[in-house]
Amino acid sequence: MEAAGIAHADHHGPPAANRSSRVETQLLGMLLFIISEVMVFGAFFTAYFFIRVAKGAPWPAPGDHLPVEVAGVNTAILVSSSLTIHWAQTSIKNGNRLGLKAGMLTTFLLGCTFLFIQINEYANIGFAPQDNAQATVFYSLTGLHGAHVFIGLCLLLIVTIRSFRGHYSPQEHRGVEVPGIYWHFVDVMWLIVYSTVYIL
Amino acid sequence: MLNPLRSEEEAFRFLLYAIAVIVVVVGAVVLLRAVL
Repeated sequence: MEAAGIAHADHHGPPAANRSSRVETQLLGMLLFIISEVMVFGAFFTAYFFIRVAKGAPWPAPGDHLPVEVAGVNTAILVSSSLTIHWAQTSIKNGNRLGLKAGMLTTFLLGCTFLFIQINEYANIGFAPQDNAQATVFYSLTGLHGAHVFIGLCLLLIVTIRSFRGHYSPQEHRGVEVPGIYWHFVDVMWLIVYSTVYIL
Repeated sequence: MLNPLRSEEEAFRFLLYAIAVIVVVVGAVVLLRAVL
């Protein structure tokens, strides 16, 4: 009775949630989230392939031009940001706090640069979403990805601020790991978007 | 087995594999377009 009383006194907050999976909850959450994200992108790619393959429409629409080179540089910037977040993660695993802070800050700035260039591209591309079906799909796919970059940047900003406040350690760095997985997912998605929309 | 959702390290490795596959696929399509 006394032991039960002590155990009760040690417990704070609501009772622990039921766990039916052996997968760690944070990773299970990210797994389910990314699966749903793949489905969302799949829906947008279906529209793209419907217009281009099933309907056989020219890509881009006659008179429109896609800035392949600028987007290629932007692709290199985003891939670089995956390298820097991997550097940050490796640094904190080895107890290198300076590497964590520099890696996170660089990743955040590279992500901001990507988004800035994409917005600039929208402003100068010369066609609007309502002009034709190809333009609608172009803005939808790249815009959906841009929204993911924005969400990723919010996560990166939180991790960067926490890094500078002295959070995370070689033992406890799940907070860097999960946004890192999301950021790599955003990067892989962009490579698919860039190669299908701009190059092929 | 590679599981990109298990850790950041595996997600990064998956990204590198994805880059390699995409480069090969895009290269093959561009090459075939040029030849045919």
